[in-house]
Amino acid sequence: MEIEIISFGQIAEFLKLRKLELNDVRDTEGLKTFLEKEYPKLKGIKYKLALNKFVVHQNTELSDRCTIAIMPPFSGG
Amino acid sequence: MNSERYHRQLILKGFGEAAQQKLALARVLVIGAGGLGCPALQYLSAAGLGHIGIVDDDVVSLSNLHRQILYTTADIGKFKVEVAAQRLREQNPEIEVKTYLLRLERNIILDLLKAYDYILDGTDNFESRYLINDACSLLKKPLIFAAVSGYEGQLAVFNVADQANNTTNYRDLFPIPPQEGEVLNCSENGVLGVLPGIIGTMQAAEVIKLITGIGTPLVNKILNYNLLNHQFYEIRISHADDTYTIPETEAKFLAMSKPIYGNKIINIDGEEFDALRKRESTLLIDVRESHEFPVLDPAVFLKAPMSGFPASLNQEVVEENIVLICQHGIRSVAAAEWLKEKYGSSKHIYSLNGGIVKWSGHFIDQEHER
Repeated sequence: MEIEIISFGQIAEFLKLRKLELNDVRDTEGLKTFLEKEYPKLKGIKYKLALNKFVVHQNTELSDRCTIAIMPPFSGG
Repeated sequence: MNSERYHRQLILKGFGEAAQQKLALARVLVIGAGGLGCPALQYLSAAGLGHIGIVDDDVVSLSNLHRQILYTTADIGKFKVEVAAQRLREQNPEIEVKTYLLRLERNIILDLLKAYDYILDGTDNFESRYLINDACSLLKKPLIFAAVSGYEGQLAVFNVADQANNTTNYRDLFPIPPQEGEVLNCSENGVLGVLPGIIGTMQAAEVIKLITGIGTPLVNKILNYNLLNHQFYEIRISHADDTYTIPETEAKFLAMSKPIYGNKIINIDGEEFDALRKRESTLLIDVRESHEFPVLDPAVFLKAPMSGFPASLNQEVVEENIVLICQHGIRSVAAAEWLKEKYGSSKHIYSLNGGIVKWSGHFIDQEHER
């Protein structure tokens, strides 16, 4: 399936892909593992996933053409 | 109340005298009179927000002025709360401005928040943000949250019930505070001055919407804004069960201690150093400057001079063990502490006690001719 990726802040600086073709990955936990392997920097950062604009708290199945947002916390003021 | 002052908003459809009266009676506490706090304060005061409290313990500095436009060059060195209060009173003498020249601590925050109806978080660090979040959650105070980084901002309204009577707070997004150094702040990462201007102004707009009941505030949503392309991206927040606890009584809140990250680094001697070098998944980092002797084999020792640390370490560490070395074992401790803050207990971080000078025999095979 193909999914859309949106990332913010320091994550967007190294995770630049917009579309992702997934073969073996089916859910958000699988996606996290995949992304952290592709982008080891992610492992050192706290981030939250949102699936189709809803925050993800537990492992959730992905669907074709869904949108995943990857959001880090900001502290600046 | 001088109706001419507020004429342009009084004639707005859906606003009028009733909304203006609500603003006049409202009590808002703005925490942090910096990049976010300044624009929020200016618009809240101008709009006729009746009772404004300002919390800050900092003085105006030159590097503040590109984004904190409440202050002038002549204000450098003065307390922000005092300058801000004076400007706001000049701008609108009809409102009450109270100043709190202090840094919010656990033992005073609850009493302070109780005196206000809406809390605006304009702070610049996670420790304050989590303290404010937890206190607001405990007291069920509406919290207007905003934060910026680089060219991007985040904005959300917490502890306000939606139509299904659900409330959320910041810990529903990030249950555990990031460690110091994990997320860069504005002084490290930079910020375009106009960005907190935009986001802080949006915070003021959310406060006004909540008080007067107009529009749809960002209740249980976080808005991500990107200044470079004007992209707005809203994410719906729901309660995260069992990922965190916020104390449900004031006594428990007061008893909470600061998070402990286990900042212990391990000082090693020459023998332990030799043993570690043979281990798998070990990264050796030399934090000395390029002019220092002996020069070690760059294929074995990653160079990350302390003068530019941590930027000089321009890679993420994937190894499990990190050994830091320098000439005398002092700079290596500082670098190790920084990495410990960043990686926490996920990695073993060591510093060679006494440095290369003390254990020179252990480096002979690694020395390179210049």
